[in-house]
Amino acid sequence: MDLPKLLSLILLLPLGSAVVIALFLRRKGNVAAALSVLVGFVIMALSLYALFSWNGQPLEVSHEWLRFGNYAMSMGYYFNNQTALMLLVVSFVASWIQLFSVGYMADDEGKGRFFGGLSIFMFSMLGIVLADNLVMLFVFWELVGFSSYLLIAHYFKTDFANMASKKAFIVNRVGDFGFILGIVWCWDHYGTVNLAALGKIIAANPGLLGTHAAVAIGFLLMCGFVGKSAQFPLQVWLTDAMAGPTPVSALIHAATMVAAGVYFLARVFFLLSPATLHWIMWSGAAMTAFAGLCALGQTDIKKILAYSTLSHLGYMATAVGLGYPEIAMFHLAMHACFKATLFLGAGSVIHGCHHEQDIYKMGGLLKKMPVTAAAFLLASLANCAIPFFSGSYSKDSIITAAFLAGHDHGAINYGVYGLVLFGALCTALYSARLFGVVFLGTARGEDAAHAHESGPAMAIPLIVLGFLSLSAGWAVQGWTWAGGAMSGLIPTHCAVVFLDAFEKLHASVEATGAAFAVEAINLGVVLAGLAASIIFYLGFEKGDALAVKAPRLFHVLERHGWFDDVYDWYIAHVQQRLCDILGALDLLVFKFTAGWGSGGLAGLTGSLLRRAQVGSIHAYVYWFLAGVILFWAFAVR
Amino acid sequence: MQPGLQAYLTVAGILFAIGFFGVLLRKNTLVIYMCLELMLTATTLALVAFSRFYGTMDGALFVFFIITVAAAEVAVGLAIIVALYRRRRTVQVDELNYLKH
Repeated sequence: MDLPKLLSLILLLPLGSAVVIALFLRRKGNVAAALSVLVGFVIMALSLYALFSWNGQPLEVSHEWLRFGNYAMSMGYYFNNQTALMLLVVSFVASWIQLFSVGYMADDEGKGRFFGGLSIFMFSMLGIVLADNLVMLFVFWELVGFSSYLLIAHYFKTDFANMASKKAFIVNRVGDFGFILGIVWCWDHYGTVNLAALGKIIAANPGLLGTHAAVAIGFLLMCGFVGKSAQFPLQVWLTDAMAGPTPVSALIHAATMVAAGVYFLARVFFLLSPATLHWIMWSGAAMTAFAGLCALGQTDIKKILAYSTLSHLGYMATAVGLGYPEIAMFHLAMHACFKATLFLGAGSVIHGCHHEQDIYKMGGLLKKMPVTAAAFLLASLANCAIPFFSGSYSKDSIITAAFLAGHDHGAINYGVYGLVLFGALCTALYSARLFGVVFLGTARGEDAAHAHESGPAMAIPLIVLGFLSLSAGWAVQGWTWAGGAMSGLIPTHCAVVFLDAFEKLHASVEATGAAFAVEAINLGVVLAGLAASIIFYLGFEKGDALAVKAPRLFHVLERHGWFDDVYDWYIAHVQQRLCDILGALDLLVFKFTAGWGSGGLAGLTGSLLRRAQVGSIHAYVYWFLAGVILFWAFAVR
Repeated sequence: MQPGLQAYLTVAGILFAIGFFGVLLRKNTLVIYMCLELMLTATTLALVAFSRFYGTMDGALFVFFIITVAAAEVAVGLAIIVALYRRRRTVQVDELNYLKH
């Protein structure tokens, strides 16, 4: 089968699965789960087959979808190395997470709904991955937003889940509003929305990026990324989105959907002007540090991981802003492995502790849940970027790139370096705290005392993804095998996207002569963070050490800087007032003039004409006569 | 002396006027109905007279149709009046004013 057909099959299989589940399997949860997982693994197999049979040349297929006069919208695939890496990440991580869900959701009433939601999410996500133009990308962009909404609200009987799903959807709409404006403007300005064609236009004439319109388009397109990847100032939805089931958090709100924003930036990187990149870099770096810090103020295991995700999305944004979209993609892939593991580990813990999420009611789970603990430990170390773990290759590259920016492009950029280093410190702090409190010490709650290891459906994905948290980054070591088709544990076609950039980056840092110092600082910061966290948190048995010793700081972190409160105030006191004014105008303009005006006119006419109905047959005879005379007058005129 | 066309038309005109003013002035539905029939008869009389004096058959032909339709119409109209009387116990038009605004 040739590649376009294969890609169509990969894209449409989950849609078929979702349709079948929605129409026939809503009440048959187990069949729905089996179908969804089966389709997940078939997609994984097909994707691997597609990747190995691909010749490495970019593929462009496009079919016209809609035509309005001179404007035609198309649907198609633009398959290059970025697509290959993203396809691998999405199909691989998603199928293991779906398998995990079988165990995690075993007792859930809404199983059919849940797996149908996962299937429709897979369809939407693969659409984003394969899309060859911005309009198609936007369609699937909204579809992932919809599936995210659907899955966050899985426990719709709780108010919190309902509100969180609405919040996620609405906050994303804010970003998407800018995104769609950007697409329309891009279409108007460049005459096309096809990614490959846009790339050629910019490559032929780089000066195009200097115009005001191009800068504005870059910023507007960035809005889509800011919403989906939960960057400043739209970061508030991601932590609330943890109200969804844990596998959903792992798949959508850590590994794939939120990272789609970064993937999108890498796809349209050539459209982003230096000003846009600067904003992305600084906001990303600030988010890295800020979210890492906020993670220290949370006691809900999933919230800690959500802030960690925000922090890592900040890293990816920083990499894009620094001009290394390939390194951002690299970190995206590594992050997908270890963050999915962390979330699945958390899911396993939550499942084992009967849906307890407060880490201070857990403890001592190392012996009771050894597999989960081992996977969680591997992923935590990858999260902290300990050498040879997957996270270290990508995260250290980003920190190194930030150092280079300071070294080459002015000392102000050392600020970015400082922020991402601080983010790394926070990562070490919260990772050690999380692991120590949950798995070490003694059980602090009734549920934790009776915790038990999860079944094979949950343990196997943990083992697979936990192992990848350790090893996924080995691709950059240059270990190729299977006739060069594999680099480390990643198909070479997927790895080439970041291999060149990785080598170039490290060559240029070697050239500065500070390579060893940068590496040493990276490692030193992480080790210092781990040591500080162990000293500060472990052995402190009266709750959270920070909450006891610095309650005010803890409160600031717990409220994550009052962003939610500011937005609440804005909506309640500014936007609501504006709505009231518009409502009053609406009443005046439409109800009084249009509503009452037209109604009044009709009523008046009616009340006049009603007078003719006198109820006497003789009067009607006169009317009849009058009519006859009228027609007669017309006839003889 | 044979009466001429003028005489027939005069009779027809008088009949029509009686019918017309009957419809306008009488209160009893049945009488109004008879007056309507009178107007119809006046027109048939005029048609037959024209037919006779101009020697064509058009008017006579029309009259057959009019009589046929009038017969059907009378059957329906009288049935309505009977039904009306059964329901309302009156056929006086000034009491039949339910459709007044």
